[in-house]
Amino acid sequence: MSKDVTQDPETDSEKLISTDVSTDDADGDVPDESQVRTVIESQDLDVFYGDTQALQSIDLEIPARQVTAMIGPSGCGKSTFLRCINRMNDLIDIARVEGELLFEGKNVYDDDVDPVALRRRIGMVFQHPNPFPKSIYDNVAYGLKIQDKTENLDQKVEQALKRAALWDEVKDRLDESALDLSGGQQQRLCIARAIAVDPEVILMDEPASALDPIATSQIEDLIEELAEEFTVVIVTHNMQQAARISDKTAVFLTGGELVEFGNTNEIFENPESERVEDYITGKFG
Amino acid sequence: MATDTTTDDGFGQVSRVKGVVFEYLTLAASLLGIVSLAILLSYVSYDAFGLDAAAPAWYVVFLLTLVAPSAGFLWYVRDRSTVRSSISGVLSVILGGTLVALGLVVVLSIIVGPDVWFAHSLFILGPTLALLGYARYVDDSAVWAGTAAGVWLFVGAVLTAIDDLLLVFGQQLASPFDLVTMPEELLLQAAILLGTPGVYFLTVLVPAVVLADRYVASRSNDRRGHSLAVALVLVTFAAVPLVDTVPAVSRGSWLLVVVGFLTPLGVYVALNAADSDSRLGLAFPLVVLAGLFAGRLVVDVLGVARPEPWFDWQLLTSSASATPADAGLYPAIIGSVFIIVLVAVFTVVFGVGAAVFLEEYASSSGPVGKVTRFIQVNISNLAGVPSVVYGLLGLALFLRLLGMGAGTVIVAALTLSLLILPIVIISAQEAIRSVPDDMRQAGYGMGATRWQVIKTVVLPEALPGILTGTILALGRAIGETAPLILIGIASFVTWAPDGVFSRVTAMPMQIYGWAFYPDPGFRHGVVPAGVITLLAVLLAMNSVAIFVRNRYERST
Repeated sequence: MSKDVTQDPETDSEKLISTDVSTDDADGDVPDESQVRTVIESQDLDVFYGDTQALQSIDLEIPARQVTAMIGPSGCGKSTFLRCINRMNDLIDIARVEGELLFEGKNVYDDDVDPVALRRRIGMVFQHPNPFPKSIYDNVAYGLKIQDKTENLDQKVEQALKRAALWDEVKDRLDESALDLSGGQQQRLCIARAIAVDPEVILMDEPASALDPIATSQIEDLIEELAEEFTVVIVTHNMQQAARISDKTAVFLTGGELVEFGNTNEIFENPESERVEDYITGKFG
Repeated sequence: MATDTTTDDGFGQVSRVKGVVFEYLTLAASLLGIVSLAILLSYVSYDAFGLDAAAPAWYVVFLLTLVAPSAGFLWYVRDRSTVRSSISGVLSVILGGTLVALGLVVVLSIIVGPDVWFAHSLFILGPTLALLGYARYVDDSAVWAGTAAGVWLFVGAVLTAIDDLLLVFGQQLASPFDLVTMPEELLLQAAILLGTPGVYFLTVLVPAVVLADRYVASRSNDRRGHSLAVALVLVTFAAVPLVDTVPAVSRGSWLLVVVGFLTPLGVYVALNAADSDSRLGLAFPLVVLAGLFAGRLVVDVLGVARPEPWFDWQLLTSSASATPADAGLYPAIIGSVFIIVLVAVFTVVFGVGAAVFLEEYASSSGPVGKVTRFIQVNISNLAGVPSVVYGLLGLALFLRLLGMGAGTVIVAALTLSLLILPIVIISAQEAIRSVPDDMRQAGYGMGATRWQVIKTVVLPEALPGILTGTILALGRAIGETAPLILIGIASFVTWAPDGVFSRVTAMPMQIYGWAFYPDPGFRHGVVPAGVITLLAVLLAMNSVAIFVRNRYERST
């Protein structure tokens, strides 16, 4: 189902990319203008849960190998948008999607798209750490096993744990239950589980909201490293977190509207919309 | 109401009278149930074990040799949870192992028979295991081995399937297939040459011992598994002279007892023997056993009058009889186990299947959702329908409509399966529903298909709950009498069933029949002893269920 890579010719996206400046100072890892391309693009995307509209005509372009943050108050639809990307909303009976969501130029809601195959290319990390009640090793190997990619399993598991900065803490206890790990370790294990199968995109739904500050900062460091290899889309309630780790920020406000989307530093320093400014400065939400 | 008793000093008092009254009422209710059950049990046991013949000295002896040491042991370890869990574990393994051994004997030596078993294990089980082992351990360089195992499995399965059809449909089909049955003749000769013990040794004991060895090796990093395997084989051979002296236990049955009872026990002991607290727990059955032997010895030496139990080896191994002294439960025990094995197969396949469908596949919205809810409500109602109604259903459906033979194993098994199917479905649904949705989401998020999520995430998590519910439901099925009466199960069958279409009796049915015999020896001896047997089987099943659930709760 893989299509040709779409180099979006539209000037809008060219502009977005050319003005891109990373908010953190480690500018060295920001890819060249020519390398940055749009991986995920939504066009006039509406989502309904029964009669309630959760997202209203969202247009959004998510660049490759960068961190894109979605922020906004509770119930604004940012998680819904995230779950649209890998079609996890399909699991909800009453959810209905209209409009287009392109991944690598292909509308993922086309009839010929297999959501399972799609999810194998787009990994996901959830709000609460949800490792399987299996051993640490089996958790990381899970995706590889269900995809029948079992050659060099030990090596792949080790590599995934190293990339998730968890290897040193668990290398002597791979056979122990994943549930014996601390919350932060469990969340990094979930990240290792997601990256073990080498997805192209990693979706993170408030990955640090259930963790203490130290575990949160470990996860944040990890996300910045992951953006060197993967496209990361992260939903967060924590505006400082979005400001710290993301390259692009999308602000959703109540009612499922995308109010503003652009480079993180611009949005935080100089938001165009007053509502966004109110939200960012903490007047509501 | 004394809630407004605020006084000038302090904070005042809040009345707790209602709460205290309620607490003691609930305590009284629980005690009432437990005490009445205990009275009933001791009344039945008094008759079943013939305790009225025992001299007071007998009680004193066993109080000193059996009860006091056991109670002292339990008191000594009361605060050590590892010891206690090890005690409950080893007791459950002993009880469960007894059931498994009994089931193996019934299935392999009575229902299937050693020669048929030999053919199936050679043609189906053997190549299947070879293929699985090949897929797991051998690399691609030995493709021929895998292919050979595959061909062997295919040809063998076809041959045995034809043969099974011949067995079921009898001679009218036999003549055109003479060619096919020729290997079977050779096989029969081989089985005769090996003898029943030889067949079981090769096809059951060796695989079980290897499996136990691998299992222990995967759970521990020393060579305990090998010692266990060697010990099991040595015990098997060493005990043969002893086994030969026991009537009603053949060498073949002994091998199955080794597999069903000693092997799991050995695995449990091998895995828990390293830890000193667990080892102490393993000693509890030895304390009980030693107490029994010591008590017996003392009673023999002193010449104290012993009880004259009705519940004895004779009861378990002889057939129904009109004289109380000769009456036995053997056909009924075998019949009950036969029925319950079939019921277990039917209910696990259909019950768990239905539960998985209703919980994981059936849509909860739209017209399909309405149908699902309708089915759901009906299943819940069916769980409450009296068992006699299921007996009527079995009578109408299996006997009248399908024309199966009255009082046969298959009719009893199907009727009892219908009876407990709703309970199994509901408990399996509960177990599946209790798997956190987080787990499913994680599975789907990893790109698992629905089937993969069910297989790798939902079922492993729900399995202990499903097992507990199923075992408890099977316990209910084994004790049912009313449906059996309606489908024409006889209460006087003098031989054990040897096939699914043969006439059968079951333990509750046999007890029910005995209760109306004029000889008081039945009412005051044989019936209580039968009740004790039935309760022992039930207790064993339930304790296995509890053990499974406890392990599950500890692991999550």
